[in-house]
Amino acid sequence: MILCNHFANLSLRDLQLILEAALSQGGDFADIFMEYRHYQAVTMEEDIIKETGETIIQGIGIRVISGEKTGYAYTNELNFEKARQAALTAATIASSPRPIEIKPLVTKEVLSNFYPLKISPNQFELDKKIDLVKEVYAACLRFDSKIIRVKVTLGDVLQWVAIANSEGLYIADIRPMIRLTCVAIAEDKGKREVGFAGTGGRIGYDYFLEKHPVRLIGEEAAQEALKLLEAIEPPAGEMPVVLAAGHSGVLVHEAVGHLLEADFNRKKTSIFWNKLGQKVGSSLVRIIDDPTIPGFRGSYNLDDEGTQPKPVLLIDKGVVTGFLQDRLSSKIMKQPLTGHGRRQDFTCFPLPRMSNTYIDRGEHTPEEIIKSVKKGIYAEKFEGGQVEDSGKFTFTISSGHLIEEGRLTVPIKQATLIGMNIDILKAISMVGSDLAFSPQTGTCSKEGQEVPVSDGCPTLKIEKMTVGGQL
Amino acid sequence: MTQERENNLDKEIKDLQSLAENLVSYGRSLGAEEIEVAVATGREFSVNVRLQAIEDLTEANFRYLSMKIIKDKKVASASSSDLSLETLKDLMRKAVKRAELANKDEWAGLPTPTEPYPDPASLCLYDPEIACLEPRKKIELAFETEKIALADSRITNSHGASFGSSEGAYILANSHGFSGFYKATSCSLSLSLQAGDTDNRVEDGWFSSKRFFQELDPPEAIAKKAVERTTRLLKPQKIKTQSIPVIFEPSQTAWLLGFLFTCVAGTSIYHRASFLVDKLGEKIATSQITVIDDGLIPGKLGSRPFDSEGVPTRKTIVIDSGILRNYLCNTYAARKLNLSSTGNAEGGGIGPNNFYLVPGELSPEEIIASLDRGLILVKTIGHGLNPVTGDISRGAFGLWVEKGEILYPVSEITIAGNLGEILNQIELIGSDLKFETSVCGPTIKVAELTVAGE
Repeated sequence: MILCNHFANLSLRDLQLILEAALSQGGDFADIFMEYRHYQAVTMEEDIIKETGETIIQGIGIRVISGEKTGYAYTNELNFEKARQAALTAATIASSPRPIEIKPLVTKEVLSNFYPLKISPNQFELDKKIDLVKEVYAACLRFDSKIIRVKVTLGDVLQWVAIANSEGLYIADIRPMIRLTCVAIAEDKGKREVGFAGTGGRIGYDYFLEKHPVRLIGEEAAQEALKLLEAIEPPAGEMPVVLAAGHSGVLVHEAVGHLLEADFNRKKTSIFWNKLGQKVGSSLVRIIDDPTIPGFRGSYNLDDEGTQPKPVLLIDKGVVTGFLQDRLSSKIMKQPLTGHGRRQDFTCFPLPRMSNTYIDRGEHTPEEIIKSVKKGIYAEKFEGGQVEDSGKFTFTISSGHLIEEGRLTVPIKQATLIGMNIDILKAISMVGSDLAFSPQTGTCSKEGQEVPVSDGCPTLKIEKMTVGGQL
Repeated sequence: MTQERENNLDKEIKDLQSLAENLVSYGRSLGAEEIEVAVATGREFSVNVRLQAIEDLTEANFRYLSMKIIKDKKVASASSSDLSLETLKDLMRKAVKRAELANKDEWAGLPTPTEPYPDPASLCLYDPEIACLEPRKKIELAFETEKIALADSRITNSHGASFGSSEGAYILANSHGFSGFYKATSCSLSLSLQAGDTDNRVEDGWFSSKRFFQELDPPEAIAKKAVERTTRLLKPQKIKTQSIPVIFEPSQTAWLLGFLFTCVAGTSIYHRASFLVDKLGEKIATSQITVIDDGLIPGKLGSRPFDSEGVPTRKTIVIDSGILRNYLCNTYAARKLNLSSTGNAEGGGIGPNNFYLVPGELSPEEIIASLDRGLILVKTIGHGLNPVTGDISRGAFGLWVEKGEILYPVSEITIAGNLGEILNQIELIGSDLKFETSVCGPTIKVAELTVAGE
C-alpha cells in the first residue's frame, strides 16, 4: 500500500463525489488521474556545474467516456472544489442525463514491483549526483585530446500517481526514473563531429554505484565522436543492411510497434487493422512489448489508467498476434486490457502506447550475419525515427560501418533509411542470438505526448533497404 | 461576456504579477543577488472530430511558474505547476541553498536594463473574440472542415479535424526592476486524411494557425488543400538513386529554416556545435538569401514585446544577401560571444521569434515550370539533422517533374545533403511566404540534392 500525502486533501469519499460530478451528464465511464512529480536536474558544461534545477508538476486530470467520445479537463490544484469543477467541465461531453452508478472505491493492491532500487532519487544527496556528473564529464574529456566540448546532463524523477475510476478502482504507485547522458564534440583538422551516450531507467542510484560505472557513458560518447571524425559519407541506394544488436531496436518501435497500437487499428488507419492472424513478415520475426522488465525505462507497475500490465506478443513467426490496448480501444474492439494506456502527464488523456518493445532472439551468431553480406552497411548507433500509419517509416543512424566482403570496414556517418514496414518485415532474413536493448534514454512522441520507452533487438539482416547517403 | 472574461484574465494577471514581484523580493531577502520569476497562465481548448463524430474534447486552465536565482555568480532554477505561496517559497529557499553546489559562472546574470519594450497592444497579440468563442462554434468548424473533405470519394479514411485555441498571459519580474506582461491568443484548424486502400495508403493534411480568429482560413480552404495534398500522393512510383534539382514547398522550407535557426542560435555557437561557428561576416549563401528574425510584426505567431528574460524583441537580419550578419542570442550566449542579446531568450535557452526567409518574386508555378527534370519535395519524415556538420538526411515524399510538368508522386526515397551546401545552391525563391508558423519560408529551388531510391 502506497501512501502519498500529496493527495491527502482528497479522501476516497471526495473522489467518489468527483466521479459523480464527472458522470452527472451521463456517460459510460469516468476516471481521475492524480499526479505529483518531483524532478531534479544537474547540467555540466564548459568544465563547470552550470546549473541545478528542481521542478514540481502536480495536477488532476478528469476523463469522461461516453460511447467513443472522450471529455477531458484538468487542474493544477489538488483540491476538491477545483477537481469537481474540472469534472463538471469534462462531463459536458455526455448529453443524456441518466443515473449512473458509481461503485464504491476500493483500494487495490499493486501486485508487482518492476522498480529494482535500493537508493531512490530522493535518498541520494545532490552533491553526490554532482559527483557522478563530474565523473562522466572527466572520463569523456580526458579520453582524447580531440574532444573539445562535453555536456553532461543528469535528470531524476519521482512520480506519485493515483487513479480512481467509476468502476470502483483506487490504485496508486510511485515511479522512479533516472536519465544520465553525455554529448561530446570532437575536432580535428577543422572538422567537428558529435557523439552521444547515456543510460538510466526506473532504477535507483545504486545502479551506477554497483552495476554501471558512469565513466563508461563519457567514454562511449567520446568514442562515437572520434569514430565519426574518421567516417565517410554512407553510400546511397538499395542495399543489404545489418542492424547491430541493441540500438537497432528503434526499427521495431517505428516499423511495427506504433502501428499495432490499438487506436490506429480500431480507426482502421493502420496498415495492420485487417491483418490480425495474418502473416506479414518473415517466420524468423517474433516481436514482444513487455512493460514488466525490471528497471527498464518503459516499465511500470500500473499504466496511467490503473491497469496492471502484461507482456503482449505482437508478432509471432511473422503473424500479427496482438494489439496494445488502453481502456477505450479495448472496449470498442472487445479485446482484453493489456495495460498500455499511458499519458505524458495530468494534462493529457491516455492513449495506447508502447513500453519496452523488442524482436526476440534467433539462431545466428552476429559474425555469421555480417559474413553473409558482400556489400552493404552495418547500422550501429541510432538517433530516432518516424512512421506513418500507411506503414512508411524511417530511422536515422548516427554511426555505423560499411560491410565489404563479409567484414566491417570504414566507419560511416549519419544516414536515414526508409522503407515500407511490411516489405521490411518480409526482408528480415537472419536474426541473431544476441538480443540486447538500446540505451535506457529513449522517449517516444505521439500526438504531442512524450513517454519514456525502450526497445531492443538482436543482430538482424535486412536483405534490401533504401539507404539515404551520397552518390 | 467578452468583457467579463477579459476582466477576469486582467485581474488574474494582476495577482500573478504581484506574486512574481513578491517572490523576487523574497529571493533577495534570502541573499540571492539576482532573481527572475516568470509565470504563464491561460486557458486551452481543443476538440478532435473524426468521421463526423466528436472524438475528444479538452478544456482547462493552465498555470506554470519558473524561477532562476543567482548567488555569487552561481545559478539555480526551479519551476512548478503548484502555485501556492508556501510551495513557491520553499522552492526559492532550496534554490538559494542549491546554488552553492554549482560552480561560479562569470557569464551568468540577468540582462542589463535597457530601453522599454513596445506596447503589447501595438503588436496585436490578443484577440478578445477567441476568449468568448462558444465551444459549439469551435466544434462546428471542425465538423464542417472534415465533412467537406469526406465528400470527396478519393478520401478513404480520416485522422480527424481539430480546432484548438488558447488565450493567456506571460508575466515576468526580475530583481533589476523589470515587471511586465503581455496577453496573447492563438487558434488553429487542421485536418489530416488518408486516401487509397489499406495496403496502398497515402496520407497528408493541412492546417491554418493564427492569433486572430477572423484571420483563420475557412473550412473550405483547409479541406480543399488537405484533399489535394493527400490525393496527389496516390499511386507513387519509386525512382533511381540520383542527384537532381529539388523544389522545396513552403512547409519544407520551414523545417530547413528551423534547422538553420538551430545552427545560428548562440548556444550552438559557443558550444562549437554548429557548422556556422566563426563565420560572422562571411558569405554562407547565395546573394538572393536574406533571413530575418523579427519579434515585432503585428499579429504574427512569433511576435512578442519582450523575450523570456524581459529583453525587448527586435528585427535582426541574420543573413543579409548571403552574408552571415548575426547569431541569435539570449543574454548568456551574447556575453559568451561578446555580442548583444537579440531578444531571443526562450525558457532557459534560445528560441525564434518570426524567423523567415525573405520571399522573392516568382510564383510557385513559375518555379515548377523552370524545372527540367527533378523533384518537388512535399513531405519529410524522420530526424536526421546534425547542426555540428550541417548534414541533412530524411525520409521523403515528392512529385516527379519533367519539362515543368508534374508527372507522378514518388515515395520511399530519402534526401541527403548539407545545409551549408544547400544555402549556396538555392537558385530560385518564391513569393509565397505565409506566416502560418513562427519559422517559415516560401517555395525554393535547390540546384542539387542526393535522392536515394532504388
